Amino acid sequence: MKEWARKITDEKVRERYVNEVIERFRDKIIRVERNADNQWMIEIRKEDLPEVIGYIINHPEWKETQLSTMVGADERPLRGKFSLIYWISINGASGDVFFGIKTYISEDDPKFPSVTPIHPGANWYEREVKDLLGLIPEGHPDPRRLVLPDDWPEGVYPLRKDFHYTDSPKREFTDETKYPYREPPKGTAVFPLGPYHVALDEPGHFRLYVKGEEIVDVDYRLFYQHRGIEKIGENRLTYDQVNFIAERICGICGTAHALAYAQAVEAAGGVEVPERAEYIRTVMAEIERLHSHLLNLGLACHDVGFDKGFMDAFRLREHVMWLAERLTGNRKTYGMVVIGGVRRDFLEYRRSMIEKVIRELREGFQKWADQTLSTKTFVKRCEGVGVLSYKDAKRWSSVGPWARGSGRDLDARRDHPFAAYKYLDFKVPVYKEGDVLARCLVRAEEILESIWIIEQALDEMPGGDILAEWKEIPPYQEAVGFTEAPRGEDVHYVMTGEGNRLYRWRIRASTYNNFPALPDAMRGNSVADAVLIIASMDPCYSCTERVQVVDARSGKVRVLTEKELTELSRKASRGV
Amino acid sequence: MAVTLKYPFVKIEAPPEYRGVPHINPRLCIGCGACVNACPADALLRIDDYEKGTRKIVLDVGRCIRCARCDEACPTGAIRMTRNFEVATLDRKDHVEVVELRLHRCPNCGSYTDYTERALEKALQILPEGLFDGDEIRKRAILCRNCRRKLTVDDAVEASREVVE
Repeated sequence: MKEWARKITDEKVRERYVNEVIERFRDKIIRVERNADNQWMIEIRKEDLPEVIGYIINHPEWKETQLSTMVGADERPLRGKFSLIYWISINGASGDVFFGIKTYISEDDPKFPSVTPIHPGANWYEREVKDLLGLIPEGHPDPRRLVLPDDWPEGVYPLRKDFHYTDSPKREFTDETKYPYREPPKGTAVFPLGPYHVALDEPGHFRLYVKGEEIVDVDYRLFYQHRGIEKIGENRLTYDQVNFIAERICGICGTAHALAYAQAVEAAGGVEVPERAEYIRTVMAEIERLHSHLLNLGLACHDVGFDKGFMDAFRLREHVMWLAERLTGNRKTYGMVVIGGVRRDFLEYRRSMIEKVIRELREGFQKWADQTLSTKTFVKRCEGVGVLSYKDAKRWSSVGPWARGSGRDLDARRDHPFAAYKYLDFKVPVYKEGDVLARCLVRAEEILESIWIIEQALDEMPGGDILAEWKEIPPYQEAVGFTEAPRGEDVHYVMTGEGNRLYRWRIRASTYNNFPALPDAMRGNSVADAVLIIASMDPCYSCTERVQVVDARSGKVRVLTEKELTELSRKASRGV
Repeated sequence: MAVTLKYPFVKIEAPPEYRGVPHINPRLCIGCGACVNACPADALLRIDDYEKGTRKIVLDVGRCIRCARCDEACPTGAIRMTRNFEVATLDRKDHVEVVELRLHRCPNCGSYTDYTERALEKALQILPEGLFDGDEIRKRAILCRNCRRKLTVDDAVEASREVVE
């Protein structure tokens, strides 16, 4: 694996890829710029978007290429125009390259040709840009609202720079305010699931269109908890403060977000991180993966009614949580990663603590895996359920164990080595079946790999500083930072600004790329498995939605009408 | 390897590394506001009253995200993370700590400056001995911004006049 790590960071391979794209679209490219070590930005006209993006994503040799993130920015104060950047990453055995396909859009003509018909993975991104910036994707097959609440007034775009972050437009919640769900297909009944997931305790409303027991189609409404973090990050917070808010995007994979943000700023500002800090970051990321995968495997057991497995997995997980508490000061939201390094060092006693916990965990987990995978009720409930085909996984640009269970061979730790992963040796488990069991197996193997990574990192960890000093970050530099969170690749885009503040910050959590593929995995399954399939994606709603607005939609209200309840909840949330 | 604890029936103690609820020691706080600048969640506020001549440093634990940046920023070690983790209460006001300090009054014009008496005292204390122009700094440090500016200009005018004559 070390050989390979060296191969993919080979400069020549990268050059070949970049040259190929430049050669092919020579007359269409306006400007090419290298933003960071593995990131190239290519500026084109907006008319050429579908062609260029379609070519790179569907390139026959670059198999695991995917749309990593898409950023819309209001650059009117700088250039008088809006900008869009589609970040495409080349994964798998192909090479370590990120392409940022950038285009400018003028305010008078805020339309751009949609990429969604060519690559459905762009679906959410383009709808979000439409909601938050008012840029209209032409030819988008599903232009409904995605992020903003149903009663948000038309024509108010919160991510534009002329919208102050404390503004709150007047909203009218009437009984007519309804989300345009798709019409149920003929002969089907609607089965509502949510607004709360039964096992994950997070909000997301699903409408299952069912024929008897069978799910024919699925529609969903998410973004109930859009917190507007990106706007706060751009307006109120300094570079260092953003790191801690980034960590609180998600309650499970916080370090992955903090790390992705820190790496983005480090790439944009040219900050060199000490090697010891890279190792500590790696160990923290892996400890997070351990507890997250144990949580998800436990919940999978719970959802199939195998509560012994659930309890055992959570018992194992608790030791990892206690370990994290001793290492960082808290069970979750470690607060370890800052721009330039980490905050707490691994002292000798902490090191031996890690060794002891992971040794016991390996034994305990192997026992758990043997027990669970030989339990027929568990295997039968997971086998052949919720199949996501390779084609669908690729079509939606899926990431993480959700994609690796469907045969996609990609992992940001290996393909775009960050932190200390470039020095370490590990396998990336891939299963081709695409069912719930395959995802569970991917996670189970990843737990053992994580333990192995931590052992190596502790052995090889060099001495030295843990925090590099940095003075100033040059303004208007763009870069992306990426990590492999437990759920897949997290990408943070930053554009640095003046006065110790970001100009634009775009967060893309892994679930954002995985969620749109969910209906494909649910079709044809029975209603009883819906909860399990959703949980097997390991969704993280708050991550995806980065979103405090309360939208109450409850059928069980006795005295209050929906309108009153909404107003009441809003009042309560404001009083904080 | 049982992990179930008897808490809350038995009191448990957080480990020594734990980042719990922050607490300000009012006897050490000099009201410099470094913690306010560092706080990502706006859990700390600095409220100046130039009529009464007071500065309040307000800590709202209800907004705190326990990142411990204030702990790192504090020059006197006044704000520290404790190992306390139990914050449930029936009254939101229980979460608020207020430290009220007196603002320094300019001896020249009598208006309140934008720093506290304690901050000035601390600054004069850590001023290295044998500093070039140390006495001048001591003389100016106690003035408000306007008077300081005026004194500097007057001194410069005075000095240039001496040179010309």
